[in-house]
Amino acid sequence: MASPSFLLLIPSLGWLSAVTSSDPFVHAPHFTGCKSRELVTFSCWWSAGSFQNLTEPGALQMFYWKKTDLTKEWRECPDYSSTVKNECFFNKNNTVIWTTYCVRLSSKSQNITYDELCFELQDIVHPDPPVALNWTLLNVSRSGLNYDIMASWEPPPSADVSVGWLTLVYELQFRRRNSSHWKVLEHEFGTQKSIYGLSTGEEYEVRVHCSMRAFNNFGEFSDAIFVHVSEIPSKESTFTVTLVLIFGAVGVAIFLMLIIFSQQQRLMVILLPPVPAPKIKGIDTELIKKRKLNELNFLLSVGGMGGLHPYPPDLYQDEPWMEFTELDADEPEPGEKEDNQSSDTQRLLSLGHNNHCTNHGCSHTLSIPDNDYDPELPDQETLMLMAALLSSQHEKVEPCLGNQRSHSNPPALKVLDVPCQRLQAPEGGERPLVQTQLGGPHSWVNINFYAQVSDVMPAGGVVLSPGQQVRAPENAITTEEDKKKIGKMEGGEEESEGEEEEEEEEEEKEEEEERINKKLPSQLLVVDPEAGGYTTESSGRQISTPDPSSPGEVYHAFPPPPPYLLHTTPLGDYQSLYILPNSPAQFLPPVLDYTVVQDVDSQHSLLLNPPSPQGSPSCPPQPPSKPLPTMPIGYLTPDLLGNLLP
Amino acid sequence: MNMMQVMQNVVWAVLLWPCLVSLGVPLECKDEQGSIILCASISKEKLLDRVIQHAELIYRVSEESCTLFEEMFVPFPMRSQRNQAGYTCATKAFPIPGSKSEIQQISDKWLLHSVLILVQSWIEPLVYLQTTLDRYDDAPDTLLKKTKWVSEKLLSLEQGVVVLIRKMLDDDMLTTSYYEQGVAPYALQPEVLESVLRDYTLLSCFKKDAHKMETFLKLLKCRQTDKYSCFLH
Repeated sequence: MASPSFLLLIPSLGWLSAVTSSDPFVHAPHFTGCKSRELVTFSCWWSAGSFQNLTEPGALQMFYWKKTDLTKEWRECPDYSSTVKNECFFNKNNTVIWTTYCVRLSSKSQNITYDELCFELQDIVHPDPPVALNWTLLNVSRSGLNYDIMASWEPPPSADVSVGWLTLVYELQFRRRNSSHWKVLEHEFGTQKSIYGLSTGEEYEVRVHCSMRAFNNFGEFSDAIFVHVSEIPSKESTFTVTLVLIFGAVGVAIFLMLIIFSQQQRLMVILLPPVPAPKIKGIDTELIKKRKLNELNFLLSVGGMGGLHPYPPDLYQDEPWMEFTELDADEPEPGEKEDNQSSDTQRLLSLGHNNHCTNHGCSHTLSIPDNDYDPELPDQETLMLMAALLSSQHEKVEPCLGNQRSHSNPPALKVLDVPCQRLQAPEGGERPLVQTQLGGPHSWVNINFYAQVSDVMPAGGVVLSPGQQVRAPENAITTEEDKKKIGKMEGGEEESEGEEEEEEEEEEKEEEEERINKKLPSQLLVVDPEAGGYTTESSGRQISTPDPSSPGEVYHAFPPPPPYLLHTTPLGDYQSLYILPNSPAQFLPPVLDYTVVQDVDSQHSLLLNPPSPQGSPSCPPQPPSKPLPTMPIGYLTPDLLGNLLP
Repeated sequence: MNMMQVMQNVVWAVLLWPCLVSLGVPLECKDEQGSIILCASISKEKLLDRVIQHAELIYRVSEESCTLFEEMFVPFPMRSQRNQAGYTCATKAFPIPGSKSEIQQISDKWLLHSVLILVQSWIEPLVYLQTTLDRYDDAPDTLLKKTKWVSEKLLSLEQGVVVLIRKMLDDDMLTTSYYEQGVAPYALQPEVLESVLRDYTLLSCFKKDAHKMETFLKLLKCRQTDKYSCFLH
């Protein structure tokens, strides 16, 4: 019972001693601390304070008392430390754990107690610092700026950790070399700890201390170690730069490839421009492939899409296809008929050669060799025929051919008995000059460049079909205006504008001819030579009578025609090629290059009867004859040409 | 006197009959499915490790509880444990080694029994402490939880130590002979300084004894593994 009160006194005494030394400059002797390093032994230290008279050793005494002592007396310090001043050491034989210790500092004579201290051993344990602190490099960051280390140490040898006597907890601290603030890491039970995020090139200090678990009495710090990792040279940075360059190049290459592949077509066009295929402007090659001749002709003639202007528009407007064809015997001609044909065709077709252009058109000069000139009709007829074939039109026509005569050729060309006094006129020795006038006020625009062979006759003749449909109203008009009087050739005088004409002997006939010219469509018919190739009278009538009202006149005007070919051909027996339009709808646009040779005058000029494009729908029904298919106008067979030329 | 002693023992034996039964029953072990089966067997080493874990945990939690209580209720001048000279911890009748040298000198049996006595001596006071803390108005929840947890774990620790004794020492003897009378509950009003101090003392003492238990068990383990090195110190 006394012990509790005695124990109560102790702190009060301690308190008292503290109170008595209130003077800051006067320090009484006191305990500076009691510590145990390993929970086995402990030591206490004191100082004499400012009392100078107590500094000599032995002036102060320390007594202790522990609770387990059966006796309550204070014992003196068992071991005053010889090395350290004012230290009392308690060895393991004198230490009891989990029991209260009280120590007292008093003067030698035990009169004055300067200080007292009570504690339990486990509460004053301050372990020794860990030993063998070391660090290892864990890794360095990719950028080379940071690195991690693993610090490891060992527990203090004094602490009996292996036995389990002490369970220690460690605390690591580190700081930069020049910094004053230590960074504290969490308590660690193990003997190693990793430190993350250190900067390369900087020097760090690391230290560690430990404490008993569940107690917060950390011991002294270990010796600090220095951690330093030098900066890795810019090997990585160069690596990074090269990597960036490589990726950039690859990206650009991919981008270019994408562009090339997406714009492949355009690039090909730019780099390798396509070779222009042969083509006519405005004409779709598909039309030609599909044999759409109608459209093609339309395009070529009218310039359907506005693209085709192969000929000057003014000429186009003015019916450039009207041509004057002049037969000039003086001009040297090649002997071959084919050559003649080609040259003549060329002449007729070409605008530059032997051209005499007037307002109404150009005239070509077609030469026929003089030596072979035969005033006989055949020549004249052939000439006229040729001229007629070569010219395309309807215009005025001309020529009255000469006398009726018979052709010697087996394919009998019926010669029209056309009293054409013109030819027998004083012009006689002259070459027949056949002029054809091309063009009319209206468009012979429906030029049929292409003639389609629709049939081949057994005898070898070719039946041509027109390539293009006739524009009815125009044709009507043109035919109205440009009627060639078929019957004119029979003997009527005919007048053609602008040509060297024979003088008209009979004005009646002229009038009629004019009338007929105006009324009658001029036509070209292709006739089979074997058949005697002529239309009958009725067909001729048909041809020659656009006017239902006036057929009679026509026929009255002329002597009853023997079976002869078309009126259009005064060259009775000879075979002539004409184009017979079957129907107005089928009537071809007149081939402007060809016209029928009506007559050959004395000057060896062909009098042509430009065919009228339109047939007469109201013609008297022709006797059933061999049906003449629609044929292109003006096609000459080679044998016919032979007849034409010597 | 002997007669009285014997009678006392008999009374204790009768009173503690359920404890005897429970102690006699082998430990229940829960396997992975959660069903409770009788432990077939557990090695001494594993059992000792588990017991040591228990002791460590109990010690840590007790230390936290003591710190919490000190911060909440104990006036500042009286906080220093070094100068604590007030209520001392209840002394045990059974001699418990106090120094390392002593501990190294005593036998395993003595160690285990010491642990057992310590554990058993604190079961009841902790229950009392719980009731006392509940009466505090502003006792933090964590403190209450910890004390509750500690008292539960203490029971399991006791169970483990008993099994350990039986295994290691082949001692089926009742240990009630070392059982001492627990601390009588003080019927004082709460939050009076005296009661606060008393509770504070209680917690501190329990913390100390938990440290003892842990130390003993660790030394015992050391002995199991390497007997000679443990005795060198």
